[in-house]
Amino acid sequence: MVRPLLPLFCAATVLVAAVLAAPALGQDAPRLTGQTPPMADVPAPPVPKWVRDDVRRMRAYPEQPPVIPHSIEGYQLSVNTNRCLSCHRREFTEGSGAPMISITHYMNRDGQMLADVSPRRYPCTACHVPQADVAPLVPNTFRDMSELGARPAGSE
Amino acid sequence: MTIDITRRAILKAQAAGIAAAAAGIALPAQAQPVPGGVGTLDITWSKAPCRFCGTGCGVMVGVREGRVVATHGDMQAEVNRGLNCVKGYFLSKIMYGADRLTTPLMRKRGGVFDKDGDFEPVSWDEAFDLMAEKAKAVLEEKGPTALGMFGSGQWTIFEGYAATKLMRAGFRSNNLDPNARHCMASAAFAFMRTFGMDEPMGCYDDFEHADAFVLWGSNMAEMHPILWTRLADRRLGHEHVRVAVLSTFTHRSMDLADVPIVFKPGTDLAILNYVANHIIRTGRVDEDFVSKHAVFMKGAVDIGYGLRPEHELEVRASGAADAARMEPADFEAFKTLVSDYTLEKVSQLSGVEPDFLEELAELYADPSKKVMSLWTMGFNQHVRGVWANHMLYNLHLLTGKIAEPGNSPFSLTGQPSACGTAREVGTFAHRLPADLVVTNPEHREHAEEIWKLPHGLLPDKPGYHAVEQDRMLKDGKLNWYWIQVNNNLQAAPNSDHETWAGYRNPDNFIVVSDAYPTVTALAADLILPAAMWVEKEGAYGNAERRTHVWHQLVDAGGEARSDLWQMMEFSRRFTTDEVWPEEILARSPDHRGRTLFDVLFANGTVDRFPLSDLDPDYANQESRHFGFYVQKGLFEEYAAFGRGHGHDLADYDRYHEVRGLRWPVVDGKETLWRYREGFDPYVKPGEGVRFYGRPDGRAVILAVPYEPPAESPDEEFDFWLVTGRVLEHWHSGSMTMRVPELYRAFPGAQVFMNADDARRRGLNQGAEVRVISRRGEIRTRLETRGRNRMPRGVVFVPWFDASQLINKVTLDATDPISKQTDFKKCAVRIEAV
Amino acid sequence: MRRRIGAAAAWAWSIMARPSVHFGLGFLTLGGFLGGVLFWGAFNTALEATNTEAFCVGCHEMKANVYEEMTRTVHFSNRSGVRATCPDCHVPHDWTDKIARKMQASKEVWGHIFGTIDTRRKFLDMRRELAEHEWARLKANDSLECRNCHSAVAMDFTRQTGRAAEIHRRYLLAGAATCIDCHKGIAHELPNMDGVDPGWKVPPELQGRELPEASIEGVRRYLADLAG
Repeated sequence: MVRPLLPLFCAATVLVAAVLAAPALGQDAPRLTGQTPPMADVPAPPVPKWVRDDVRRMRAYPEQPPVIPHSIEGYQLSVNTNRCLSCHRREFTEGSGAPMISITHYMNRDGQMLADVSPRRYPCTACHVPQADVAPLVPNTFRDMSELGARPAGSE
Repeated sequence: MTIDITRRAILKAQAAGIAAAAAGIALPAQAQPVPGGVGTLDITWSKAPCRFCGTGCGVMVGVREGRVVATHGDMQAEVNRGLNCVKGYFLSKIMYGADRLTTPLMRKRGGVFDKDGDFEPVSWDEAFDLMAEKAKAVLEEKGPTALGMFGSGQWTIFEGYAATKLMRAGFRSNNLDPNARHCMASAAFAFMRTFGMDEPMGCYDDFEHADAFVLWGSNMAEMHPILWTRLADRRLGHEHVRVAVLSTFTHRSMDLADVPIVFKPGTDLAILNYVANHIIRTGRVDEDFVSKHAVFMKGAVDIGYGLRPEHELEVRASGAADAARMEPADFEAFKTLVSDYTLEKVSQLSGVEPDFLEELAELYADPSKKVMSLWTMGFNQHVRGVWANHMLYNLHLLTGKIAEPGNSPFSLTGQPSACGTAREVGTFAHRLPADLVVTNPEHREHAEEIWKLPHGLLPDKPGYHAVEQDRMLKDGKLNWYWIQVNNNLQAAPNSDHETWAGYRNPDNFIVVSDAYPTVTALAADLILPAAMWVEKEGAYGNAERRTHVWHQLVDAGGEARSDLWQMMEFSRRFTTDEVWPEEILARSPDHRGRTLFDVLFANGTVDRFPLSDLDPDYANQESRHFGFYVQKGLFEEYAAFGRGHGHDLADYDRYHEVRGLRWPVVDGKETLWRYREGFDPYVKPGEGVRFYGRPDGRAVILAVPYEPPAESPDEEFDFWLVTGRVLEHWHSGSMTMRVPELYRAFPGAQVFMNADDARRRGLNQGAEVRVISRRGEIRTRLETRGRNRMPRGVVFVPWFDASQLINKVTLDATDPISKQTDFKKCAVRIEAV
Repeated sequence: MRRRIGAAAAWAWSIMARPSVHFGLGFLTLGGFLGGVLFWGAFNTALEATNTEAFCVGCHEMKANVYEEMTRTVHFSNRSGVRATCPDCHVPHDWTDKIARKMQASKEVWGHIFGTIDTRRKFLDMRRELAEHEWARLKANDSLECRNCHSAVAMDFTRQTGRAAEIHRRYLLAGAATCIDCHKGIAHELPNMDGVDPGWKVPPELQGRELPEASIEGVRRYLADLAG
């Protein structure tokens, strides 16, 4: 049963080893590795468009702050006003249709729940960011925990 | 017992479920078990500090099957209590960029090393062999001054300590400087000159006690987001609290400001002296405090700009030769100097409206307001950065608002261990561990004692600092150079003419240790793959003096090894006979013929902890390889420098149990506020306050004037260029640009410009433009509506984008005292492409 | 002195009240007509000159504060390049309203002369009051100036984001809200918004009930529902 697979297995190993050993020095990602030569001047690509389809994106792991699927251009976040909260705060969600801000944001520094959003959570954009509609510069081999054997109740 | 679930059974169960739901019946839970049992949902969580900024948040790192799968803010960490910023939330992805370096790479042509060849994978042995060969040749021909190392505030404490031993005691070269020279040198020098000891006297607890916060040239909202949440919590949770933010442009931190001040670049010095003037004129000097705890001095003036000595600005600078000089003075002299800085004059010079300046001054002058001042690169990356730091301390010293909860001049740090490693361990070109200096014979002797080395071994002249290293590389005086954990070709100023020229100088051999192929690595002759963050046991020291240790949680891929392993292993290839002078060997024959590894790392102190001391639940690649508990040994030897001298560290094992401890840790208790009785065990009862770093126990109030920047806009180059960072990318972006979510959050550098300026020049939003200076240019895209709202005549470009090396454009002017580059002020023009 | 003025006035009246001796009727009427045209042209030119952006930002307090803020918004630079200047939003097109506004503007001249907001600090402190004036004005005229350019019925929902299209349908087309209710801060930075709720906040008495759809039937049903 194993014999016919053996050459294939060896070939795969060799291929993997070659890929691992080969210098991953792609110059096709100048934003990471610079130009060739490094001090050269090359055109700046146009600024990409942003994702604004309001579709909620899957999180890489449960605790990740969700990315913002809509435009936040011109949204003011200052001592005067918090545009994010004016849709995502509990009192406004019915009118705006926006998801309520996570309950974790009602906790103060000592872990006690407050009646409203804790002031320490006021700078929303410190954790939540919109996404440009571009492919990553290099793939990232991060593996989702669900691939590594963690499957919740009811998944089969 | 395993549950054999067949496809048929699943379909049956599903069908039943649907039917039951339709009928409003809930199926018993046992019909849908967790496959493999709930144990499969387990993730192994361990603590670690965040890899990124100097805030030093605690995170919990989740590992499954040898990979990091999740992180979150550590609820038990004092610093952040469960919060992270967006970069911290993606820590689980930073080690997994597909182009991670896994094998040493050497430039070769025809199978042999050739500086103009292409990179080919080689073994560690071959890499080290070449490095050793090159090093020995250089030492033979030119001596230790031609050998250099450029380290990092991202080194672990052990790595910085190993480097300082290897360079100074091994190769006898003081040409070791960290990239923290680019970020914290001005702060470090000002600490030493003012207090006699480095590092802040307050801690983050000041956030919860202050009545007023003043940010000087710091964009905490983006650069220290978690500290910003503590500030916002205090400001928004308490009505009386006020926030003043000063910068050369409007940024996210200013959005929370009650007193938003935009000043002309360089005039922060004048504003500082004005505030001091205001305090004196309105009679709010705390005379009791000043008479007991301060001493007045005057600084040398006209000290130049740290440019190459032939530069006309240096030739003209009358005080450049002795820039660091401080002469005794008195209160009257100080008062006279600052009296020149009247409200009208400073308002005129800085472009700030008088009422804002007065409001700012009152925050300091009002004795009932506790003030926390915060600063980072706006002050430090400044041609008069040391002066700026001094002038800020002046305000706190004149009013006695220092070293107590809420009253805190707090120097913020950029890198995770610029404090813990670069400064405290002594990786600057003039330093030894625990604030000792190479120029002091007693300090050298003390180090030689602790290191069990012959006296007279350590070199006594300070080595080349960062900018000077680049100049010496270009000039051919520095010929062997090892760069670790930094991206200096992207970070150093005037990089085309100096840094790049130096790296490609045919006489030079450049080695870069990094985790990823950065632009610096690709400019080197030899690349060594490095293990990063939780792939090694490490320790960092953050901005509030908190030393935080972590275990190795996963293995590095391929043949990547930590910088610590690299240095220790490399040291095996040298014997004392090859690198130490004969007089030394003659005096101590015991050291003859031994490898540097023996005398530096297997010296009875560093190797005294056996492998049985290791925590069995965690790996430790370096210790297993060398046969002893490496990190503990290095730490305990290093701690011997500081214990009893105000730099006390706890026992190493304790740090694995807690979320860091703030030094000095005396009798198991950490110190929150230094120099004040009741908080600091070094201040005896009855003393009140004592700045025990200086022999007279007094802090220095320095009288220095305003002096203009090195290069201001003129007709040909009519814009100020400010460089800096953005929230989503850390430093040169080598980690964050490889995380898809972070890359997509800010996919490329842009030049931020005032919208009206752009309109007048006929430049569209998003148009491609050139940013040109006397030294170089880049092509980028214009942004007039972004988070940074520029005033007329000022543009901003972040430096995280390797395709837009803005440091080709910047000027290599430094603070002449600290040698730190001014990245915030030079002259450019903007042209449409 | 007074006698001189009195004499001059009497002389002028004597000329005006008597029939013309030298000039023909046509000349006088036509000349009068042309003079009126010229006068009106001059008046209007002068008036319109005060309706230009250049005039508005001639005052430092306008240029450094509100104009500066507007240059970073969509009304200054956008995809189509159609931009709005100060008068497009702040000066009514309708002549009577325009003149009324011009008369109100004398308060601004006063403010400029006496420096009501001549520093950034004074402006920041007064921002809420100034904003409230404008919100009240736009609320009162049903966002007339917005509708000068943005017609609700001409909105192409296929070119708006889903969120925007939905909210416009639910609130704007149903007549439940006017532009300024939700789009405060569209051109200048917001003041302290303490106590000012966003326009889409459902009032407590209506929470949990379905909002009217954009149809007459829907509105009728909703009103009937409210009544009983």
